[in-house]
Amino acid sequence: MNERLQRMNTSGLLADRKVTQLMAFTAIIFVVFSVSSFNIFFTPENFKSMAYQVPEIAILSIAVMLSMLTGGIDLSIVGISNAAALVAAYIMTEQMNQAGELSNSWILIACLSGILVGLICGLINSILIAILNITPILATLATMTLFNGIAIGVTNGISISDLPKQFIRVGNGTFFGIPTPFVLMVLIAIFVGYLINRTGLGLKVLLIGTNRKAAQYSVMGDRKVIAWTYVISGFLSSLAGLIIAARTSAASPDFGNSYILLAIVIVVLGGVNPMGGFGTVTGVVLATMVLQMVSSGFNALRFSQFFYLAAQGGVLVLVMILNAVLENRRVHQSVKKSTGE
Amino acid sequence: MNFRKLLRRNETVLIFAIIIFSLVIGSRSPEFFTAANLFDILRSSFVQLLFALGVLIVIISGGIDVSFPIVGIFAGYTAVVIMRKYDLNEESLLIPVVLAIVIGVILGGFNAIAIAGFGIPTLIATLGTAGIFRGLMLSFIGATFISNIPVGLDNFSTADLIKFESDAGTLVRLHVLVIPVAIITVAVSYLLNRTIFGRSVYALGGGIESTRRLGISIKRTQAKIYMLVGGLSGLAGIIYVSLQRKASPYDLAGSELDVIAAVVLGGASIMGGYGTVFGTVLGVLFINMMKNNLVLLGVSSSWQRAAVGVLLVIGITIQAIGENRKSKRERLAADQDKE
Repeated sequence: MNERLQRMNTSGLLADRKVTQLMAFTAIIFVVFSVSSFNIFFTPENFKSMAYQVPEIAILSIAVMLSMLTGGIDLSIVGISNAAALVAAYIMTEQMNQAGELSNSWILIACLSGILVGLICGLINSILIAILNITPILATLATMTLFNGIAIGVTNGISISDLPKQFIRVGNGTFFGIPTPFVLMVLIAIFVGYLINRTGLGLKVLLIGTNRKAAQYSVMGDRKVIAWTYVISGFLSSLAGLIIAARTSAASPDFGNSYILLAIVIVVLGGVNPMGGFGTVTGVVLATMVLQMVSSGFNALRFSQFFYLAAQGGVLVLVMILNAVLENRRVHQSVKKSTGE
Repeated sequence: MNFRKLLRRNETVLIFAIIIFSLVIGSRSPEFFTAANLFDILRSSFVQLLFALGVLIVIISGGIDVSFPIVGIFAGYTAVVIMRKYDLNEESLLIPVVLAIVIGVILGGFNAIAIAGFGIPTLIATLGTAGIFRGLMLSFIGATFISNIPVGLDNFSTADLIKFESDAGTLVRLHVLVIPVAIITVAVSYLLNRTIFGRSVYALGGGIESTRRLGISIKRTQAKIYMLVGGLSGLAGIIYVSLQRKASPYDLAGSELDVIAAVVLGGASIMGGYGTVFGTVLGVLFINMMKNNLVLLGVSSSWQRAAVGVLLVIGITIQAIGENRKSKRERLAADQDKE
């Protein structure tokens, strides 16, 4: 642990090659779009709208990253965030008076209930994965269908809209000139970064992802750690759901179906190893910004949204291929070195 | 002992579940036990079963594929677009089907390159390719739905093997597809159980390293698997288009979970190495039976997805408990051997 801390302190963020690469990549994308579509892309309005869109997907990606660090995956994030948003929205609209006003304490209660839903959903995932030993992909696939199905069943597929003004202000307002969701995202990123790098839980998460067998033999309660991961992932998803509801002033059971693919693309692009054991929050946040810039840039250049979908998939596959090729070369080189050729 | 083993098998449990479920529904509404309803369940199962057979092969090999519905609709839609563009023989049924299968195999080939060629984890590779295929189809091939599909395909949707009017006056129809689908099902079962390729699929799911030591080429087997699945998905896609009598590029996306649920309910192990065609057939029939008949139980159809979710959670929990018990027994047995 000490060695790790030292490494972090002496060379800072640049010590991580993947993050450095990503920073360069972000800069290149930024310049390319700024040049090719200066009038639309390089405007304060565009940056502002990006700052409102980045946080929700960044938080969802951080949730996926946590499960991926243990070598698992959480596919139920979107299901959880919609469920949490729906419960909060339901409480708010039920308690609202005719004029559409609601006291702050009720809004707080509604948000807390939404977060509680997220924690419960995360707990269900934990029970399936940590206690019953079900493969994470399968367990979260099932719970994703379940959460989404319950949300559709209860609401009949209709969205809840017209949320109270104070609540919407959180999603659309600014905090010292910076969009509030963006501030929330930074706080959450710092919290998760602290969790991974400076706490025992984070170290155990990385150890489990690197080598599950070794983690089991070291008797550190690997199941408990995995259970915590999915509970935290559920918590983060519910926060993302609340932010989405506050930004769009609506909660719907089938919002953001495409976010699963997007979140996995971001996490992999952000340098998280899908087999577990390695990843940084900085990388994930940077990757979110890259993809948001690509999306806004495509919009500015009038490409279709489907083309963006293809680009997402293409980026995912290309990054994975690049990683595989580089890894191969590295192994070859180290073999050569050790055989003394 | 043999009898107890039989009882513990997943297929037996599923058959009992199906019987109990039909008795419950049947007792509440006699409509359930009519030939019309049973044939309807079969008709709605064809496409899913074809997809499920492909997914079964992938899951046995230890992978997972989420791109197959996109491959299916890509193949089906593109086949219709090509037919229209080059004015191919309207009456023909063979041309679109062959076209769709070829397109499916080509798309499966891309999956094969990503998975076998570069060793990308299967879930991530197929998520990526699904996005690519869907995006490319909607931006370059077409984003509008085609309502006048070629006559041959259109006629096929009403090609019935058995057709008569029941006493109650409803039209009872059994689609002719039941024969080819049955043949394909048997063929996949034969392929998995009686050919070297099939056995290497099971071996691959059992363990990659041991398969390599057996002298089986991992890459070649994986490539064959994903191309075969692409072909099956393409066939399913064109049959879907034919049965719907329209080609919409937005269809099928998102249906992957239902199919995977059916395969997993059918007892295939997501870790690979285990799974039977018979179980998959039962799983598909069970899910379709439940989806079609929830309304008869007085449950609103908006609960369909939740019902599939509940079934899936129960199914995997039962399997996991069985699995945990088995590994515990094996550990105990190993300990006793040592003593």
